[in-house]
Amino acid sequence: MIDSQQASEALADISEMTRRVRQSRIYNLASLMLIMWGALVFAGYLGSFLLPRYAGYLWAALNLAGVAGSFAISAFGYPKSGIRTFDVRMLIAFLLFFAFGFLCTSVLGHFTPRQMSTFWPIYFMLLYIIAGLWIGQAFVVIGLGISALALVGFFLIGDWFDLWMAFVDGGGLMLGGLWMRRS
Amino acid sequence: MAELDEIIHQPLRLKIMAALNALPAAAPGLEFSRLKKLTGATDGNLGAHIETLARAGYVAVEKAFVGKKPQTTVTATAAGRGAFARHVATLQEIIAASARQP
Repeated sequence: MIDSQQASEALADISEMTRRVRQSRIYNLASLMLIMWGALVFAGYLGSFLLPRYAGYLWAALNLAGVAGSFAISAFGYPKSGIRTFDVRMLIAFLLFFAFGFLCTSVLGHFTPRQMSTFWPIYFMLLYIIAGLWIGQAFVVIGLGISALALVGFFLIGDWFDLWMAFVDGGGLMLGGLWMRRS
Repeated sequence: MAELDEIIHQPLRLKIMAALNALPAAAPGLEFSRLKKLTGATDGNLGAHIETLARAGYVAVEKAFVGKKPQTTVTATAAGRGAFARHVATLQEIIAASARQP
């Protein structure tokens, strides 16, 4: 028979494994979402670069597609993982977050397209960074990396800014998703 | 007090069972490579302990080919989940009994 110290250590091992498995399942589902959003964002910036006049409509359509896709990934993954990554509460949080961004960029201030294209990814990456403090450092690394490169583009890249952002934000999210699948 | 399950109590087998039990019962189990990463074990060591758990009927091992790559998936059986739950309860009893002693 073992003593209480050894029993506590065994229970601590079990808790640690449970935490690791849960994090692994979250990463697995989140990586699918990152890859999907990365592809949508890539298309959005590419569209903004090629057809700037229609960029507003394009982004609205892509955001709706992203929300629908997030619901689909969450619903598909739930039976296997037991984890809901995108539910009604997440949708409300997403809408509140979006509304606050809109208030800042279009009501309180009037951002230029270039400022918008820099603000939104950094604003969303802030969410990744904050969430990462609880659910895993991969989110923090991806968030900080994309934010830093978005600022580099804002200050240093001229007319090619939207194309830069397509690769930095869209490509970054896709690469981050692939990296997360391996971690 | 109930006896500890000697098959599960070995440290690596405890980690394997903890990882598999962290999944919902309907989930498809964990791939060998994922279990290796989660437990930090070597291929040979992990394989030997999975074999011990499979012989006890605590896990089911399924081998399949995904494309040309072999893939081994390990799942906790109902018997394994029950044994693990009893093992955890016994560990908790040991701690509780120790706390009751003057």
